[in-house]
Amino acid sequence: MATRKETRAAEVGDWVDERSGWRLAWTTVFIRKIPKVNWLYTLGSATLFVLIIQVVTGVLLMFYYVPEPAQAHASVQYITHDLSFGWLIRGLHHFGASAMVILTIAHMLRVVLYGAYKYPRELTWLTGVVLMLLVFSFGFTGYLLPWDQRAYWATVVGTQIAEVTPFIGGWLKTVMLGGEEISALTLPRFFGAHVWALPAILLSLVGIHLYLVVRNGITSIPKRDD
Amino acid sequence: MNEQEKQEYLEQYAEEKKKGVDFFPDIIFKDTLVMVIIFLILFGLSAFEGAGLEEIADPSDTSYTPKPEWYFLFLFQLLKFFPGAIEVIGVIVLPVLAIGFLAALPWTDRSTRRHWSARPVVTGVTAALFAGGVFLTAQALLEAPAPGGDVLTAQGDPVAELYSANCAGCHGTTVAAGPGTDFFRVISGGTHEGMPAFASDLTVEEIDTLVGFILVPRGNDLFAATCGDCHTVESLVEQDPADLSDALALGTQFPAHAGANVPDWTTVLSDDEQDELLNFLSAPDGQRLWSQECASCHGSSVAFEGGEDELRKVIIEGGSHLEMPAFREELTDDEIAVLAGFVTGGDTGPDAAALWTTSCFGCHGGRVPTAASHDDAVSIITTGGAHETMPVWGDVLTDEQLDALVEYVVGVASGTGPSGGEDLFAQNCASCHGDLGEGGPNPTRAGDIIAPISTAEYLKTRDDRTLQAIIAQGQPNFGMSPFGSAFGGPLDDAQVAAIVAFMRAWEADPPVDLPPEVPDVPAAGASGAEIFSLLCTQCHGEEGEGGIGPNLKDEEWQDSRTDEEIFDAINVGHVGTSMVAWGEVLSTAQIEELVTAIRELANPPLPPEGIPTFEANVLPIFEQSCTVCHGTSGGWDGTTYSNALLTGDPSPAIIPGDPLNSRLLQSLIGTHPDGVVMPPGGGLSEAEIQIITAWILGGTPQN
Repeated sequence: MATRKETRAAEVGDWVDERSGWRLAWTTVFIRKIPKVNWLYTLGSATLFVLIIQVVTGVLLMFYYVPEPAQAHASVQYITHDLSFGWLIRGLHHFGASAMVILTIAHMLRVVLYGAYKYPRELTWLTGVVLMLLVFSFGFTGYLLPWDQRAYWATVVGTQIAEVTPFIGGWLKTVMLGGEEISALTLPRFFGAHVWALPAILLSLVGIHLYLVVRNGITSIPKRDD
Repeated sequence: MNEQEKQEYLEQYAEEKKKGVDFFPDIIFKDTLVMVIIFLILFGLSAFEGAGLEEIADPSDTSYTPKPEWYFLFLFQLLKFFPGAIEVIGVIVLPVLAIGFLAALPWTDRSTRRHWSARPVVTGVTAALFAGGVFLTAQALLEAPAPGGDVLTAQGDPVAELYSANCAGCHGTTVAAGPGTDFFRVISGGTHEGMPAFASDLTVEEIDTLVGFILVPRGNDLFAATCGDCHTVESLVEQDPADLSDALALGTQFPAHAGANVPDWTTVLSDDEQDELLNFLSAPDGQRLWSQECASCHGSSVAFEGGEDELRKVIIEGGSHLEMPAFREELTDDEIAVLAGFVTGGDTGPDAAALWTTSCFGCHGGRVPTAASHDDAVSIITTGGAHETMPVWGDVLTDEQLDALVEYVVGVASGTGPSGGEDLFAQNCASCHGDLGEGGPNPTRAGDIIAPISTAEYLKTRDDRTLQAIIAQGQPNFGMSPFGSAFGGPLDDAQVAAIVAFMRAWEADPPVDLPPEVPDVPAAGASGAEIFSLLCTQCHGEEGEGGIGPNLKDEEWQDSRTDEEIFDAINVGHVGTSMVAWGEVLSTAQIEELVTAIRELANPPLPPEGIPTFEANVLPIFEQSCTVCHGTSGGWDGTTYSNALLTGDPSPAIIPGDPLNSRLLQSLIGTHPDGVVMPPGGGLSEAEIQIITAWILGGTPQN
């Protein structure tokens, strides 16, 4: 017999379900069977987990970071040394970036290994390839933000490399830098891309990616004769 | 996949699902476990390693070795395999191919087989891509010097240390570059691939050493084994390659090695080793060899229309192709004897040097040929004709050096040589920017001052691409028209690049320092003229005739400004130029004095009453402006009254009563047909020219 408390909880659940259909969403996503899989299949959700860490710590960093050449370095210094748990927030974000790259690549290798890009998961794979490019773009734009020596010079080299692109190279570099050289215009532009434009694209694609994963289910491990 | 195959797959998958596990909670539990582990790793890294933060960005620090985040290292390393013109392969082609391969996988691999062993191409290519990425990343990590230290193997080897301190951070242990690369220029001027200009950080000898090390690394080992005990690399690198070649070829007979207990290099070293050693000490870098060996006689370029083989022959055989005039008819026997003494080293008196300067310098430059004996020298000078005016480079240079030189000269002679940058700058830029890029009044916009473009700040903060873009596209807002042919200007890309290369050469030793040194504050009672000579002359010239700053005597300048405007300009300065706000140094009264003094510049006091005289008025001008060159190098001589009137080429240079036909005055005001304005560093002031004109007009009185 249900206790009073459980009954109350069920009532609230019913009330919300009647207006949102959350039970269907919950059962669709979680209450389903999937083929027997191994530990390599945790790489995708691990990537998602690190992405969530990046979003949370990124938002926290934004509270204190000033995207302006005169103050960017000092604000990062403040976050790292003075802010309570600032070292943790920035450390997680910093190492999380590397973790994103490693996990994304490992996840893709697993997909190739098990032929998981084949019917009916072609679109899942395609969004995944774009997501990988976005992860690298995040790394490139985020690298400049601390405005220290390695940030500055890596961006000098990076944008000069981009300039080699045939036909549009010069234009590309000008758009990236907001002029001919790294200037006060460059930092806000990289900041804007890193915290707004790229996240908007990435999160939309992650949504599509996850929808496709749930809809088509996860692949089974192919046997030798598959 | 056809419909039936799709159906089969879906059915099989449904089977697998049925036999499978619950996503919640089984799989979620596994995922959560992995997440916790990842979080702990990230937490540990944050706590014990921490996200580093270096010094604040400093755009002027070219010595910083750029280092991308580790996950971009593979791309960075890939570029080293595709230098110069083919870098587009490393930057675009390969990455696009790799991404294209991945994105197209579902459509290129259409078989129904899913096990990895059934898809050898896909698993093979993917594994190769992954292994390639890991390999490149590892290579980049291993090659990069440890932070704050040099590559371990470089310890104790100064050249390797120089390399690892400056080059290894980006280039690793070797530098890949296409044939014909002008290494010296690349190192001193940097490239658009992100390599900084090293001209300000390294000496010329250090750059030469690096080029030798890069092109002939084994030469460095040979050097350490054979020469390193007595010589430093830098001291030998600056030697004439002819001497270096002699030092090896003559063995113990080489004068500087005589009695120094030096082994006979001709027997100790094989021919190949000798070549490598020479290549190391004067690297086979065409542009550099040219500037060291050829430029002293040939200038910045040589007109040569033949092919490579012909040129090679000329260089190898030396100067028997050149005709020297017979001096029998032009010089007296005594003079020939003196010259012969000079070239054989017997007579080095001042007469001999002067004679050399007037008769031989034009062709021979500073390179004095040697003759076996006095008599030989006399006969060569007397009869002229073909003799060895150009060294037999075949005996001096190694094959590699000859190749590099020929390639460079053919390249330069067939087009506008990059070394033409100086001339191009003088023709196209100097009229507004000044000969040394010091700037000055903007001729296209009254009252505007063009800031210097040759300061260290200016050059360091603009890369070559930026400068090229400015020259090619102009800066219409500031009155600079486009110079690039693509924008309707007169210069093609190579010429624009040549100007930039010329400007880049300033960076090592900028001709203009910003801001100017502020001398002592003038005393309270100083007159306007005194303040002017103390503070203003360093930019505006001794008499306000202009320099870095505009010509203050110019009528247009004077007329277009009110006293208040001049006062304001002095008081607050011009932002971004070397005209600083003098209001911080001078009082209001002093600035007012200064304005009055500047107004007086345009109406200078009249020249001395009556006719100027040589001793009182003219000689001081000659002594200050002419004697430094004309006193020793022959030609006209203004040190005494009689010499001033009688010497010159053609003599006399002064025709009393006729200043306009006097060669002296023609050279001073620039009307002589040869176009030279004397003195070459900048003409005399108008007041001085007036004095000389009046002196000649008045019959050139001595006292």
